Amino acid sequence: MCWRRVGINSLMLLVILPLYLVLQGTSWEQRAEVRRTSPPGYTLPAAFSRVLAMGYQGLLSDYEFLRAMTFYGDRSIKQQQMSSADWDFFAYSLDVVTDLDPYFLDPYVLGEGLLTWDTQRYETANALLRKGMRYRTWDWQLPYYVGFNHFYFLSDYATGSDYLMQAAKIPDSPAFLATLAARLAYYGGKSKTAVFFLQQMLAETNSEALRQRMGKRLLALQGAVLIEDALKQYRNVNSADPEALGELVRSGYLEELPQDPYGGQWTILQNGRVYSTSKFVDAKSDNQGN
Amino acid sequence: MSEIVIDSLYKKHKPGLFKKPIEAVSGLSLKVPKGTVYGLVGPNGAGKSTTIRMLLNLIRPDKGEVRIGNKSVSAAANADFLQAVGYLPENPYLYDHLTLRELLRFAGRACGMTADQITARIEVLTRQTGIAYALKRRLHTFSKGMRQRAGLCFALLHDPELVILDEPMSGLDPLGRKMVCDLILDLKQQGKTVFFCSHILSDTERLCDKIAILDQGRLVREFETADLRAFRADERSLEDEFVAAVGEVH
Amino acid sequence: MLQRVWALALVTCKEGIRDRSMFGILLFALFVLGLNVAVAGFFMRDLGKVTVDMNLAALSFAGLLLVFFICINLMAKDIDKKTIQLVLSKPFSRGEYIFGKYFGLVLLVLSTLALLLIFSSATVAGVHAMYPTYFEGFSWSIFFLAVAFIALQLALLCAIVVFFSAITTSSFITLIFSMASYLVGVTLEEVLFYLKSQAAAGEVVASESLRSVLEVVAWLVPNFAAFDLKVEAAHGLALESVRLLTVAGYGFGYILLLLWLATLIFRRREFN
Repeated sequence: MCWRRVGINSLMLLVILPLYLVLQGTSWEQRAEVRRTSPPGYTLPAAFSRVLAMGYQGLLSDYEFLRAMTFYGDRSIKQQQMSSADWDFFAYSLDVVTDLDPYFLDPYVLGEGLLTWDTQRYETANALLRKGMRYRTWDWQLPYYVGFNHFYFLSDYATGSDYLMQAAKIPDSPAFLATLAARLAYYGGKSKTAVFFLQQMLAETNSEALRQRMGKRLLALQGAVLIEDALKQYRNVNSADPEALGELVRSGYLEELPQDPYGGQWTILQNGRVYSTSKFVDAKSDNQGN
Repeated sequence: MSEIVIDSLYKKHKPGLFKKPIEAVSGLSLKVPKGTVYGLVGPNGAGKSTTIRMLLNLIRPDKGEVRIGNKSVSAAANADFLQAVGYLPENPYLYDHLTLRELLRFAGRACGMTADQITARIEVLTRQTGIAYALKRRLHTFSKGMRQRAGLCFALLHDPELVILDEPMSGLDPLGRKMVCDLILDLKQQGKTVFFCSHILSDTERLCDKIAILDQGRLVREFETADLRAFRADERSLEDEFVAAVGEVH
Repeated sequence: MLQRVWALALVTCKEGIRDRSMFGILLFALFVLGLNVAVAGFFMRDLGKVTVDMNLAALSFAGLLLVFFICINLMAKDIDKKTIQLVLSKPFSRGEYIFGKYFGLVLLVLSTLALLLIFSSATVAGVHAMYPTYFEGFSWSIFFLAVAFIALQLALLCAIVVFFSAITTSSFITLIFSMASYLVGVTLEEVLFYLKSQAAAGEVVASESLRSVLEVVAWLVPNFAAFDLKVEAAHGLALESVRLLTVAGYGFGYILLLLWLATLIFRRREFN
């Protein structure tokens, strides 16, 4: 009798327990592999989510947002590219999150940060932000982002200015908005405006990744502005464009030619603006999507 | 003057959804005079508990009437008539997580007693029933005998004129049975009316002024004072007459 | 009469508080409250909203567990274990019994919520102190109002529990029907408005008769979504007094009607 109990206890400790530990480890490794190659994922359409949430829509929106964030973060940490389908899922997730709780700020901020810079889905970002504007009527940031998108990515200065004016009308919005809106309306495509805009955006942004990106762009634009000013002086004096930009340094209009942080060569466009062969984009970035 | 009058009481009971209804109580009539101890005996399923429940308006009779203190029970507009009634069910199940004191306080407040009255009665009753030591204990720790005693205190807390007991001796050891007998006699001395049913014929014979035998919902025999004197003097045996009476019908 | 009803309420509440399951429910709620301090850090800006979401969810869900398991048990035990015969042997009218038990259940829910609210407020204050800049919209008064209306929701649910307990002897049936009433009450508004918007947009998702059925149901089952102030509390949105008073009146009215119905039915019950 006693031996039987000893036998069972030994079996459990020496065989079953180690077996369990090994299998547990293997199972988790398998899961990691499965997740790596898994398709983007699926979110229920908002109408169903709202009903299934059973009064906990807010909490569900928090959970779904965490899912979307970790989905992107996961791909980003593993240095995997987000495919077009991935971005579809991501954009749709943010849409569902904001349908569950349209007052939730985070999805709008994340959407603005990623959908524009990373994947050029400007209209998607704008549509999302406009949804937020209907609800977060006290929040000047949302129309501000839409205005920025129109100015910076879509080169639609008139619409950009409209949105900035909308933002400026909201109480407690920063003082520079009205000025910026006016500049946008008048100066439109000038680099100085873009510099000013970016400086303000940098002041507002907390995300390190975004700050780096914007900082780089700011540096490039400041370089462009420097060259543009020197160009203007040159034209005033010589009534013609220089042969090469090096001319500006030799003739003393510029101390030295600023570096393009994106590693390209400066060029002068038809309309006299300064541009770069790098197009102000990172060489190895591989943005897909529309 | 009768404290309880039961007049041609009928009650059908359906044992199951598709089964034929059984007559639990059939044409029962009896009178319990004020200040007496009335015993109801009978085999299992005779309808004793059913009768008692109709006394308390827990169930309503199909036909007939129950009157307590000359007021109809089933037609009562409210439950005020219970102010003067104390009831101990068979196998009382009490609120598990309350202490004995909390349970008895509840009994007192339900009958509109003041805090002082309640405290005084708790003291007297718990001493009389021998569970004063357990006042602070939770009821789920009580043994069956203790629960029975607690139920008694609960029933008697508001000093009712009419006391109805369903199997008061069940679960009690001989000491407990003696305690109940003394209690009933004490109540009788105070002029209260006691109506109880029991399986224990010896105690019933000792305590009661009148005894009724119930079988299959019918009143089969009723014994008066003279009969009881004979039982107590051992001239006749209640047990024999019980078996004979019940045997007749079966 | 009031003393009797109050005595029964007190006894019911005490019996409920000392139920061992309370321990589990409180532990669960405290766990979620603690979790919210950790989880808040995952989010970017709207930390106030996330904290409020989790706190209100913890309180509301703990309340649901309390009602579905402990309150239903409190009602059923009386009848199952025949304790009700003891209670009804005292001069309680059937109506006084129903109201006494009901107030006991509500007292139980309120005291549990009050205790959890203390812990909840502590965690909210804690997260607020950790991330002060991200709590822009937060308002304590709206938060407490949301909790008050959660309490009202739970009081409604208790009335439903008492009602079904008066009808049926089985505690399982009471549980199923109460849960069903809650599920319907919580999702009814979403479904109805979704159907209406689809119909307005010209897409026919379901037949007219389904909508009519749902509208009838809306008269019978309370619209729990009307008592849901979680969104307003999460973002500090303004609340109009008229709306609040209307909802409160709707809730109290429903409770009274339901308890009255329960009393009528209970008067006809017999206790074997």
